[in-house]
Amino acid sequence: MGRLVLHRLAATVPVLLLVTAGVFALLHLTPGDPIDAMMAESVDAEAKASLRKELGLDRPIHEQYAAWMRRLLRGDLGRSIRNGEPVIENVSRRIRPSLELALLAMAVSLLIAFPVGIVSAARRNTAVDRAGTSFALFGICMPNFLLALLLIFLFGVTLRWLPISGYTDPVEEPLNGLRSLLLPAVTLGLALAAVITRTLRSSMLEALGEDYVRTARAKGLSEWRVIRGHVLKNALIPVVTVLGLQLGTLIGGAVITEYVFALPGVGRLVVEAVFARDYPLVQGVILLIALGFILSNLLVDLLYGWIDPRIRYR
Amino acid sequence: MAATASEPAGDFTRRDFMKACAAASAVSVVGLVRRATAEAPKKGGTLRVGFYIEAATMDPHLSGSKVDRQIYHNIFEPLVTLDVKLGIKPGLAESWRQPDSKTLVFKLRRGVKFHDGTDFNAEAARFNFDRMKTEPKSVRKGEVASIDSVDVLDSYAIKLNLKRPDAALLATLTDRAGMMISPKVVQERGAELGRNARGAGTGPFEFVEWIKDDHLLIKRNESYWNKEGGPYLDRIRYRPIPDDTVKLQSLQAGEIDVIDYVQPRDVAAVKADRNVAVVDVPSLADFAYQLNHTRPPFNNKALRQALAHSLDLEQIVKGVWLNVGRPANGPIPPTSWAYDKSIAPIKRDLAKARAKLAEGGQSGGFTFTMTTNNLPINIQEAEVIQAQVREASITMKIKLVDAATLLSDGNSRNFDMISYQWSGRPDPDGNTYQFFRTTPGTSLNWSGISNPQIDSLLDRTREVSSQAERKKLYGELTRLLQDELPMVFIVHPVEPKAFSPRVQGYEPIPDGMMRFKDVWLR
Amino acid sequence: MVLHRAARARLAPFGAAVLVAAVLVALGAPLLAPYDPLEQNLGLALARPGRAHLLGTDNIGRDVMSRVIWGTRVSLVAGFASVAVAAVAGSLLGVLAGYAGGRADGLVMRAMDAVLSFPPLVLALALGAVLGAGLGGVLIALGVVYTPTFARLMRGQVLAITAREYVDAARALGAPGWRIAWHHVLPNAAPPIVVQASLSVAFAILAEASLSFLGLGIQPPGASWGSMINAGRGYLQQAPWIVFGPGAALFVTVVGLNFVGDAIRDALDPRL
Repeated sequence: MGRLVLHRLAATVPVLLLVTAGVFALLHLTPGDPIDAMMAESVDAEAKASLRKELGLDRPIHEQYAAWMRRLLRGDLGRSIRNGEPVIENVSRRIRPSLELALLAMAVSLLIAFPVGIVSAARRNTAVDRAGTSFALFGICMPNFLLALLLIFLFGVTLRWLPISGYTDPVEEPLNGLRSLLLPAVTLGLALAAVITRTLRSSMLEALGEDYVRTARAKGLSEWRVIRGHVLKNALIPVVTVLGLQLGTLIGGAVITEYVFALPGVGRLVVEAVFARDYPLVQGVILLIALGFILSNLLVDLLYGWIDPRIRYR
Repeated sequence: MAATASEPAGDFTRRDFMKACAAASAVSVVGLVRRATAEAPKKGGTLRVGFYIEAATMDPHLSGSKVDRQIYHNIFEPLVTLDVKLGIKPGLAESWRQPDSKTLVFKLRRGVKFHDGTDFNAEAARFNFDRMKTEPKSVRKGEVASIDSVDVLDSYAIKLNLKRPDAALLATLTDRAGMMISPKVVQERGAELGRNARGAGTGPFEFVEWIKDDHLLIKRNESYWNKEGGPYLDRIRYRPIPDDTVKLQSLQAGEIDVIDYVQPRDVAAVKADRNVAVVDVPSLADFAYQLNHTRPPFNNKALRQALAHSLDLEQIVKGVWLNVGRPANGPIPPTSWAYDKSIAPIKRDLAKARAKLAEGGQSGGFTFTMTTNNLPINIQEAEVIQAQVREASITMKIKLVDAATLLSDGNSRNFDMISYQWSGRPDPDGNTYQFFRTTPGTSLNWSGISNPQIDSLLDRTREVSSQAERKKLYGELTRLLQDELPMVFIVHPVEPKAFSPRVQGYEPIPDGMMRFKDVWLR
Repeated sequence: MVLHRAARARLAPFGAAVLVAAVLVALGAPLLAPYDPLEQNLGLALARPGRAHLLGTDNIGRDVMSRVIWGTRVSLVAGFASVAVAAVAGSLLGVLAGYAGGRADGLVMRAMDAVLSFPPLVLALALGAVLGAGLGGVLIALGVVYTPTFARLMRGQVLAITAREYVDAARALGAPGWRIAWHHVLPNAAPPIVVQASLSVAFAILAEASLSFLGLGIQPPGASWGSMINAGRGYLQQAPWIVFGPGAALFVTVVGLNFVGDAIRDALDPRL
């Protein structure tokens, strides 16, 4: 087990190298320049040139990459060009809202997906099943910026139940914090619910066809007890996988939701940084997101082996 | 999303402007003024302000982004300030005189203290100018380039010695280049000033805290030097809301009290909303397209003129800007004293456009690409222009880019016709010189125009100090620009701001900055 | 299991009908659209849905219905072509990795892992910025984003299939590698790729809409449903019909594609 973890960790190094090189190349191929973007209305060529020099932007790209790598190996991700603060500070400020949003979105999606998925599987091929499956699809079939705007219009503007924009930390103010995150969490959670419902339903159907279920039924157990006692547990593995894979995506990828609801999250940070051509910030954030993604994958794999020992020995 | 580049501003002739104020007062905001006669301003309360993006730095000397200024104008004060008609009035300087065209003497106000308790005086002012000129990261260098040295005449008088006559300098000193920072704060924690301006300014409000990505808080300066009027508000809380629609909805729902800008498409609806008061703030802006004089097709003057005559500005301003702005006759906005209202915007004339096409050797029409920002209103304008020029058998392709790419394409002259939305400067020099003067090294002359007649006119506007004289020169310049066409000028937008009806006493100055000194909450 | 498939099958005809309708609309756009989708009438901007304009007009007075009809083409092309790019590129890389093994395998799969570990929208955004806006940029950007999924899938299939006896037999008979790949591996590995592709198209159509939101998409005056929704989102309160037309078209098509994708999966992969 320990060796497996070490092996997997070692395997992430080349991946991360490729990620950093890829980001670097992409960013520098993109037209535009951080200093011009920052000082759009300034004609001060001299000031711009001296800033570029100070930031090393006047050097050839491979030298810039090497310099960045050297700093990285010392554990320094550099500073944002726009606000001059260390990349790591920028990210650590933004990670909390993103994490809270991701977890809440998952909670929302599970609240929807479990009842719908279980009932759909148990009452398969009935109208209930079809209604459930179709409902679960709802969230995934609409662009999420549209869904977000509709939710704001309904719950924020018309009914005035929930705040429209902004972020309150639920750790500091639980009630207001949850209220500020609820609409964005629903926006993300509806889409996720579709994926989870689908996964849960099919893995339950698969489990329902297994021999031990037939045995349990033969013993005269009620259908509900069969599901609860035998099917659900076995059907959970794929659900855990999906959740694990989605966590990474939710944290770094909730760009549009964070933008619309004015939440200070990581996803918006990357996109703002891309638009500002804030090279060190984009590089640093993407690297951290990639690392997070890889680690969460690793965690899922380990969790797998723990839930189902057969997998470990395969 | 790439909303960074669009921060429109406004227009109007002087008379229209007065009318606008009158209309506004009848409807809403300056209605504050009317109500104010009946109702005395009240102290207290927190004003919640929504801006499209967060500030970049709290150090006015290092600031390169426009949104920073919105906050500075409440914390810091410049030597001189603007009035509603763009006249220059005393700020931290009580008065000024110009013994000759290369000398400017300021008499400074006594009894002004920075928020850290130190005195503002001539030494402090000189310190600030020195810092702007010598600090390696200073972004103000270009703006104070004409200043050669600063002499302290006595504790409350300074003399600026200029390298060359600079008629626009006073107007420049109404903004960041004229803002005074406490020398003590700079010396003791200059490096930190960018994110923490505590004690640094002299303005009606003091910096309290800035929780990045969340909010920036300032509070009333209890010992503000000016005892007339405000500050009334206890605190002002700024927060960034990037999406226009969501920002407006937050205002309508009462989550915030002020927003910096209302999109033209929302203006009519918002004016009908009793929960919101709108002020049309005429701006200094000039929205145009630069034409590339260094390559075909627009190195051909006749083709530039053909394009200009195929545009219907009235229709663009009515259909795209919904009349939240006015057709432009040139780079100088109607808010400016230098605006010449006898010059009409270029009229649509398809027959003339065709004649010019023939003159330019392209009687069958030609094809070019417009590069513009990927923002809804820009796209809409591009689509309307595309349809207009097609009627003159000109084929226009549209290339949509984000703000950073637009700047890079412009600076490298990689375009035929490119959108240029200039937020404007209080002195007409700021809307003209750097765009049309042949100067190697200036980066806003994207068109590449180099015309000796224009150059000499521009130089004269800097040397002559009489406003009447300068106005005549700018009139001449505008006519010349309509002929040479380094740009096709489209619109001088109005920059509507919206408030909760509780907000009283806002004075709309055309530079678009929101100064909250005299603002109070009902 | 049979029952389950039958249950899904009752949704599948609906999905298929939607898909066929969408394709027909895309092909027949010039005949079906009541107006020129580019014809502006600024005087008639934001007209409510009515007899003259069934879905109303947009902010520069263009007929929304006609634009939705023409937008079908762009949206379907964006969805299908980007997935086709991804499926072809991913399959080739997967075959290469699975069949060659060793270093090539390691390199290809690490590269795929690297692509996967980007937030997809951010990757598409950055790629799009490099490639320039426009349908081509969008296709390639989305294609790259979806490639790793196909590569992984294909590699897994190749590894499973090459371990089977008939492949060993073919190899023993001296058949060249490409021949084995072509005749034995590809046909057997195809079904899961088809399933994945059918489900990905729906996501790609949605992703194109998201890219439009971020300012990267179709160049005007052309329009996809996504870019129309994006252009109209500022008018949600004054003129919701601008968004309603393309929004409904997008929603129904994506639902239909999902049903079809599920049906294909059920048909090809009886285990589920």
